[in-house]
Amino acid sequence: MQGAGLDLALPYLMLAPALLVVFAVLVYPLWEGLKASTKLYRYGRVIADVGFDNYVRLWSDPQFLNALSVTATFVTLAVALETVLGFALALFCAREFAGIRLLRTILIIPMVITPVVVAILFRLIYASDAGMFTAISLALGGGEVQILGDPVKAFIGLVALDVWEWTPLMFLIILAGLQSLPQEPFEAARVDGADAWRSFVDLTLPMMRPVLSIAVVLRTIDAFGTFDQVFVLTRGGPGESTKLLSIYGYDTAFKFQMTGYAAALFVTLGLIMLALALLAIRFIQKGTEE
Amino acid sequence: MSSIRFDAVHKAFGALTVLRSLDLDIPDRTFLALLGPSGCGKTTALRMLAGLEMPTAGRLLIGDRDVTRLQPRDRDIAMVFQSYALYPQMTVAENIGYPLWIRKVPDAERRAKIAEVATTLEIETLLERRPKQLSGGQRQRVALARAIVRNPAAFLMDEPLSNLDARLRLSMRGEIKRLCQSLGAKTLYVTHDQAEALTMADLIAVMNGGALQQLASPAGIYERPANRFVATFVGNPPMNVLPATVTEAGLSVAGTPIALPEDRLAECRRYQVTEIGLRPEDAHVVAQGTPGALAGAIFVVEPMGNETLVDVRVEGGRLTVRAERGFSANPGDRVGIAFDPANACFFDPMGKTVVHRV
Repeated sequence: MQGAGLDLALPYLMLAPALLVVFAVLVYPLWEGLKASTKLYRYGRVIADVGFDNYVRLWSDPQFLNALSVTATFVTLAVALETVLGFALALFCAREFAGIRLLRTILIIPMVITPVVVAILFRLIYASDAGMFTAISLALGGGEVQILGDPVKAFIGLVALDVWEWTPLMFLIILAGLQSLPQEPFEAARVDGADAWRSFVDLTLPMMRPVLSIAVVLRTIDAFGTFDQVFVLTRGGPGESTKLLSIYGYDTAFKFQMTGYAAALFVTLGLIMLALALLAIRFIQKGTEE
Repeated sequence: MSSIRFDAVHKAFGALTVLRSLDLDIPDRTFLALLGPSGCGKTTALRMLAGLEMPTAGRLLIGDRDVTRLQPRDRDIAMVFQSYALYPQMTVAENIGYPLWIRKVPDAERRAKIAEVATTLEIETLLERRPKQLSGGQRQRVALARAIVRNPAAFLMDEPLSNLDARLRLSMRGEIKRLCQSLGAKTLYVTHDQAEALTMADLIAVMNGGALQQLASPAGIYERPANRFVATFVGNPPMNVLPATVTEAGLSVAGTPIALPEDRLAECRRYQVTEIGLRPEDAHVVAQGTPGALAGAIFVVEPMGNETLVDVRVEGGRLTVRAERGFSANPGDRVGIAFDPANACFFDPMGKTVVHRV
């Protein structure tokens, strides 16, 4: 009987350490975060229980609404550009020619550089005194080029950084997808009369739909959480032109010490991402059922 | 008239030559089977005609048009692939209509044409389905429908039946033959299955090692094989080949003297015949010691239902004989093999058929 009891308990005993770790680093902080989002803090202490007040306040906070709109614009622009560029590069690299392996390797280098390092590099490139653009402008007889000091240019600069860093991921996923497509339908289409453009529109795109959706979803969720590049490059400025939700949340929590409000903000951000992910999964499943 | 011509077509992939100087002339309204074992270059020949591969040297002509450098879409051909190659995300109707759609055929005309070929191939109830929801045989029909929906100068078929199960293959064989006959278009049909080639084709081109071995009608291929390869590749079970010795005294096979008319014997002497070829149905199992029969021992007996295949070991080799359905014998039984030398053919040391059956 003793042996049987041990047999029953054994699986749970063996799972226990992993469950403990998950609980300690995931469940407990999440629970504490949710709890914090319903409290009002002052000087690091809870002074009142405010229920859902923090969540309600968010939607009348112009800074939050601005951060939401900046984030949405950033994500849309960056992911769209990365998808188109990644697809184009993948199409180009899906063929076999001399030097293709080297080219593919070079193309994925940006992805493997630490984001903070990328941001530092771009800060140097954009610098108004010693940066690349200023150097080119001076060589052509112009003056200093302000990029990070100009709201629109800084935002474009941020998008450019993200595109440079993450197009390779799109490229890699899409290339893998392209290379796993069956070849015969494309040969059949050539015989049936399709030119390169038609076979791209009629075959490649529909057949790539599931892979594309997954790539876009992954990148979108990831882009929503972008923090380190902005933190190093602009800290959200100039003004609030590059203040993403993550930066605004960081400021709220650590600069302004509004712990409860920041918690509510991040829970909201998490819910938005969850909703996007669910929507995307539905879209993908519909696409693959057909 | 739009005949098809391979003019000294040569194809190499890097250092590997898959086709050496193929010359082939296919008259209009002909069903030609390209028959050969794997790697003989038959599929490459077809793919070059389709425009999916570029010949290393030589010319391809459809009618009097040189199509060697043309894109597949400009060659006016239709192709059925071994894997069917249906468009996975399109419905059956869209698959069939694609060649017309791409040619901007008006909607009404296209729909009428889709309905027409779908009816011909009995898939009119499947038009809204997608390839994934179809069985292998149904996919095959859709692929055929897509090929016949326009009136191309030629149909190319690359082993279209090899992914089907045996029974379906038999029934589709007849259907494709009928379809091609009623369309009256020229068809190039690649297969490694000699039964398909013999039953369907007007002309068979037997290929091996990247070279054409023989181009003839199915009967010609079967009755008068050009060489040892064709003789043993076509026929089921294949032709028996045994060593033969020709001396001043006459011909002997497996140590047994064989009576041959003087003129045939002279031919055999002239070409220094070394082997004799004999179809299984041209030999008979007889009692041991029958005059003129080869002496042998039963190796294995295989009842086929409608007949019995008897494998007999003789001096210098083995041969298969077709016997009647009730035949029975035990392995090791001593028997004789009788045959009429008029039905035999003879090969020279290079394997060429130098003396054909009478």
